Amino acid sequence: MARMPLAFDVPRWSAGLLAAGLLIAAAGAGLIVRNDLADRRAAFETDGRIAHRLLSQRAAQHDAVLATLSLLQPPAAEAAERRLPAVVGPVLQVLRRNAEGRWPGDDAQRDALDVAERESRALQRAVLARSAPGGGRYLLVRAASPASFALLIDAAALVPATDWPFAAGGPVQVTLHRGDHVQRVVAAAAPVDGGRWHLDFRKPLATDSQPFELAAQRPLHLAELPWGRVALWWLAVALAGWGLASWRAQRAAQRRAQELLRLGQVGRLNALGELAAGMAHELNQPLTAVGAGVQAAQRLLDEDPPDLTTARRAMAQAVQQSRRAADVVARLRRLVERPDVASRAQPCPLEATLRGGLDLLAPELQRLGVAVDWQVDAASLQAQADPVALEQIVHNLLSNALQALASVPAAERRLRLHLARDGDSVRVDIADSGPGIDPEALPRLFEPFFTTRDGGLGLGLSLCESLATGMGGGLSAAHARPRGAVFSLRLPLAG
Amino acid sequence: MSTTPTSPLIQLVDDDAAVRDALSLLIGTVGLRVQAWADPLAFAEGFDRGAIGAIVLDVRMPGLGGIAVLERLRAAGADQPVVMLTGHGTVELCRRAFKSGAAEFLEKPVDDQLLLDALQQAVRQHVRSRARARADRDARDRFATLSEREREVLALIVAGLTNKEAGRALGLSPRTVETHRAHLFEKLAAPSLAHLIRHYAALAEGEDAA
Repeated sequence: MARMPLAFDVPRWSAGLLAAGLLIAAAGAGLIVRNDLADRRAAFETDGRIAHRLLSQRAAQHDAVLATLSLLQPPAAEAAERRLPAVVGPVLQVLRRNAEGRWPGDDAQRDALDVAERESRALQRAVLARSAPGGGRYLLVRAASPASFALLIDAAALVPATDWPFAAGGPVQVTLHRGDHVQRVVAAAAPVDGGRWHLDFRKPLATDSQPFELAAQRPLHLAELPWGRVALWWLAVALAGWGLASWRAQRAAQRRAQELLRLGQVGRLNALGELAAGMAHELNQPLTAVGAGVQAAQRLLDEDPPDLTTARRAMAQAVQQSRRAADVVARLRRLVERPDVASRAQPCPLEATLRGGLDLLAPELQRLGVAVDWQVDAASLQAQADPVALEQIVHNLLSNALQALASVPAAERRLRLHLARDGDSVRVDIADSGPGIDPEALPRLFEPFFTTRDGGLGLGLSLCESLATGMGGGLSAAHARPRGAVFSLRLPLAG
Repeated sequence: MSTTPTSPLIQLVDDDAAVRDALSLLIGTVGLRVQAWADPLAFAEGFDRGAIGAIVLDVRMPGLGGIAVLERLRAAGADQPVVMLTGHGTVELCRRAFKSGAAEFLEKPVDDQLLLDALQQAVRQHVRSRARARADRDARDRFATLSEREREVLALIVAGLTNKEAGRALGLSPRTVETHRAHLFEKLAAPSLAHLIRHYAALAEGEDAA
């Protein structure tokens, strides 16, 4: 009986299984990562919208401030002008051009403000001055009468203290673009080109006067991918693959064991054939000589007068030749000496051996649809026997039973196994509900070369019986009721 | 051709000494002489081709098997009948043996009656075939002594023509035909027309065809 492989024997990974497993693992990992990225993208977009709304609101405040100042006009506006920077965060300074006056600042600033003022008067709203005060600041101009106003705004201060969706010092870089003016709102904590991917959000602020485009960027690093979940998935796939391969290895091992058994039998048959042919020739020669010699002697004795001398010589030669034949037979006997089963006896668990024998024949049992009944009178019965010989006997008897059952309808196929203790012996009964044993064949069942099968050698039962008696037990057969055969194997009790 | 002693000779080839001895003894009981050979190769080279008798061959021998020896014998033109012996007879073996001209095929252990009957029949057959062969040779020699004209006349009278018809066919007078006829009868030592036909018709026809 082959050693049944443990579930965790190192399975042999077939290339196909491995490839499939890798594919599934990769596909699953891909899906997990893709979903994770999609979630991140959505969240980023939402944050971007929040930032956009907040910045737009803040920018809109400046329009309101300029409108108010325009309405107030000096001298009412003066107080507001002074207090504004403290109240409205981003506003650094309020600039005013009186009716016939000029804008403060240097020439470049003045020119820019003039241009913006004209535009503002035409469009009837605040307008961005084209100059770049630098340092992330810009000028917003509102034309009015008699005085026009302008605000110097610090773009960086547009970021509100509360509700800002991006953490300060975090990886998100938020910028406001206008043409090639880039006013950095929140500097990125880490360099932008570190990771492979970026999350991007772009949207122009919702104010006509300050049409900056908000750009939020967040680099993604490989380390931020959901490796934890991917690892769990891979573990699951690995376990599943391991289980599958292990199961397949078990099945392959079982098949192999059966093949080996069958090959062993075929090998023995072939060797037997060879042996038989050789023996046939070696026995034929002396037999021919004996036959011819004795027949010659008969003829010589029939002569008139009988040739006694030559007849005696012929018969002496015949005797010699018959001895030669006997030698050949003796050689044959030595060649096929059976192993000494008595010396290899040890305690053998009967139930386990029987179950093992059934396992080996499991495909046949299933194919024939045989119902197996167990009756164990005493638990853990052990026989004193040679384990290999015992397995051989069990296999032979079970095979015979299955062969018998194959010739009856599927619904009637029953195999009954009965283990019992009988004094200082154990008894195993293997009964089948097959067609039974022909009463004429029953007394000859254990004879060598007796077989009821075409192509059968007739050695199986004879061998089993010899093995059983060699171990101090016995094998017998009887009719089963209501139909079938029962084979009883008796062996000494162990211990 | 060597001078053959009166008693026919059985030549026995088998590599097993006991079988050789026992069979030799058995065959000797019916008054046949036996020459036993252990080595089939030696036999194939050195056996007595002229001897009247038969050959017994074992099929399964080391070196040269029985069937192979048989084929060599036939190729060499040996005319003795051959009896094959085997411990393991298959139809294939049997077929090959008979196709190569074996006279009999027996299984070992051999029944004495079967073997001895086969041998005696073989010997009788051989004697007859040898005699026939000798007669054919003699006939050929005699035929060679005939003249052209005599052969022509022979061909016609063997075909059943009368002297007159033969004379007409050959453009000879019946008397001339008669003279030729007398001569050829003498040369061929034929006692009757029937004898002439039996022994010389084939030869005459051969001439005619040529």
